[in-house]
Amino acid sequence: MSPLAILMSAFILSIVGLGFFIWSQRAHLTDPSTEGSEVIFAAGEIGTPEEPAAPSGTTRPAADADDAELAARARADASTAPLVFFFYCCAFVWLLVASAAGLTASIKLHAPDWLTAEAWLSFGRIRTVHLNAVAYGWAPMAGLGTALFVIPRLLKTELVGGRYALLGAALWNAALIAGLGSLAYGVSDGLEWLEIPWQIDLLFVAGGALIGLPLILTLRRRQVAHLYVSVWYMGCALFWFPVLFLVANFPGLHHGVEQATMNWWFGHNVLGLFYTPLALASIYYFLPKVIGRPIQSYNLSLLGFWGLAFFYGQVGGHHLIGGPVPGWMVTLSIVQSMMMILPVAAFTANQHLTLKGNLGALRQSPTLRFMCLGGLMYTASSVQGSFEALRSMNAITHFTHYTVAHAHLGLYGFVSLVFFGAMYFVIPRITGRDWPWPRMISAHFWLASTGIAIYFVSLTIGGWLQGRAMLDESRGFMESVLLTLPYLKARSVGGAMMALGHVVFAAHFVRLLIARGARRTAAGPFATAAEGI
Amino acid sequence: MNTPKVLPQQRRENPDPQERSTPVPRLVLLLALVLVAFGIDYISHAEVNSPAGWGDARTRAELIGERPAAGQGVDGGAIYAAMCAGCHQATGQGLPGVFPPLAGSEWVVGKASTAAAILLHGISGPIQVKGQEFNGTMPAFAGSLGDAEIAAVLSHVRSQWGNSAAPIPAALVTETRARHADRTTPFNGGDELAKLP
Repeated sequence: MSPLAILMSAFILSIVGLGFFIWSQRAHLTDPSTEGSEVIFAAGEIGTPEEPAAPSGTTRPAADADDAELAARARADASTAPLVFFFYCCAFVWLLVASAAGLTASIKLHAPDWLTAEAWLSFGRIRTVHLNAVAYGWAPMAGLGTALFVIPRLLKTELVGGRYALLGAALWNAALIAGLGSLAYGVSDGLEWLEIPWQIDLLFVAGGALIGLPLILTLRRRQVAHLYVSVWYMGCALFWFPVLFLVANFPGLHHGVEQATMNWWFGHNVLGLFYTPLALASIYYFLPKVIGRPIQSYNLSLLGFWGLAFFYGQVGGHHLIGGPVPGWMVTLSIVQSMMMILPVAAFTANQHLTLKGNLGALRQSPTLRFMCLGGLMYTASSVQGSFEALRSMNAITHFTHYTVAHAHLGLYGFVSLVFFGAMYFVIPRITGRDWPWPRMISAHFWLASTGIAIYFVSLTIGGWLQGRAMLDESRGFMESVLLTLPYLKARSVGGAMMALGHVVFAAHFVRLLIARGARRTAAGPFATAAEGI
Repeated sequence: MNTPKVLPQQRRENPDPQERSTPVPRLVLLLALVLVAFGIDYISHAEVNSPAGWGDARTRAELIGERPAAGQGVDGGAIYAAMCAGCHQATGQGLPGVFPPLAGSEWVVGKASTAAAILLHGISGPIQVKGQEFNGTMPAFAGSLGDAEIAAVLSHVRSQWGNSAAPIPAALVTETRARHADRTTPFNGGDELAKLP
């Protein structure tokens, strides 16, 4: 058989298989007992709201939450509070470290003579420190902390084995300190996203496994029959990451072209199968939580989740378009990148239909603001990414700043904003204190959103022009470099605003911690009884 | 089971979220069909039957590269970079007092047969270039370069760095080689070269 026939039949068979699998989930073909699902879906024929205490389209007053649910909630939170607090403190530290490193790297691109005395401050090292502080510091600490907070609540039980997670987090952060130190010192594995030496990676693997262990232990003790969609995403993220990380860092396993293939298999999957599911799970939990309405469609949730799980693992090859890798692999990755539009559309439709008519809550809840903007950025960056994978577009944008803008739209505009929103909701519940200065939340929101807007727009334009200039044989290479200068300066302005927003966020957190006796109970634009920060 | 104190923040929030079982919107199903159709179409037009070693989307023609048209088979610039630039420099300026410049040199842009003779047999002795006296050695290339290669590199230097003399055909080099066939030593500087017919 020709490679084309094999590729075509594999694609069609897998799509049919995926469709059947999702249908079988919906039809409960794989449930050992269908009872649990029926409890939730009994009243749920098409279009009928099934929230027993709520007429369609209205929010149930929070005071109606019955005592049993309140008690379960309090117990779940009490079992996770110290642990989540530790994760979040680490997240704050890494957020500030990553912002400083990123801003330094950004400025160096248009002021190359700045800070050249120290080797560890050179662009090649400080940019790597920035990437790793975000990838293994801020994002996982905030995301895993949120997951550990949400999972026991959704399983209506206490977290089991929290000590393992605490030990795991300690190992993880020790590994990250060692890893960033070695990168700054100039010791690196030399693969993007996998720069930290494999000897240190062993600690990450052990730490990650210890953080994932409580999930399995808690799942076994769950008090609910139906697993809510957030649990699928968070559970799978905790399972997928150790597999990805172990395979990618296994020493001596990958060589040559195959190593490059593995590199982008990991580099893209760590975004799509670790940060993305953690952030999507947060949206699926906090968005309906804040507006007090059920998620619109279980069917769309299934489509979004299994679509992501199935398509995402194969898209990394689009980073190697034009490279010396087999043509079938790149073609498949391009097709699956486009197929990713389907789960993204399913998620977007689900959120849109859930939010419809409830946008008023945006004025009151900072959590919802961050979540909604983050969700929109998920749609935007994903669709953009799908089209960037097409050969025609990739020829222009590959190896330009356009790609950098896209990466930040995803990891900042989507993932980080969602985690900000989640932290604004969770921190008052694990500390028992309200945010003292609502205006600082506003300042943080506007600095972050305006900052990323400037960042994204300027680098997208600059990257596109750079790509066009590099393809033009009549223009020298230096011309393509020099024309990006104004856009790189604009990027530094946007980046500085984002960094300032993070300082405001961290200062507000410190203020919340030291504000003994100064608890805000009500009032203020962000604080009405049911709004849920 | 003892219950911890319920915080006001926990009390004021909405109940944990659930899902309704609304069907998938028709538009999303339509999108799924469109995407699958796109995938089938894209794969059917993809060039994946070529051997994996060729890499992504490359064809035999691209890997072989452009075949040179007849008569321009040799790249004079490449020969210059490999055999001449060491002394005369990539800029064609030479080194003052040691190696004469080719840019603007009267010997380069002058009589074509003399220039070919210099390359074939070399020079050993004093020579005036652009008003400067040089006294070094230019090696002979009659043994190492063919007529077409000498013609190509001469045509190259005659068209670079502001020079704009006509290209030299390989036939002229063949003719010059035949005329000096019995010569075994380099030319004795500029004086002997100036007397060549």
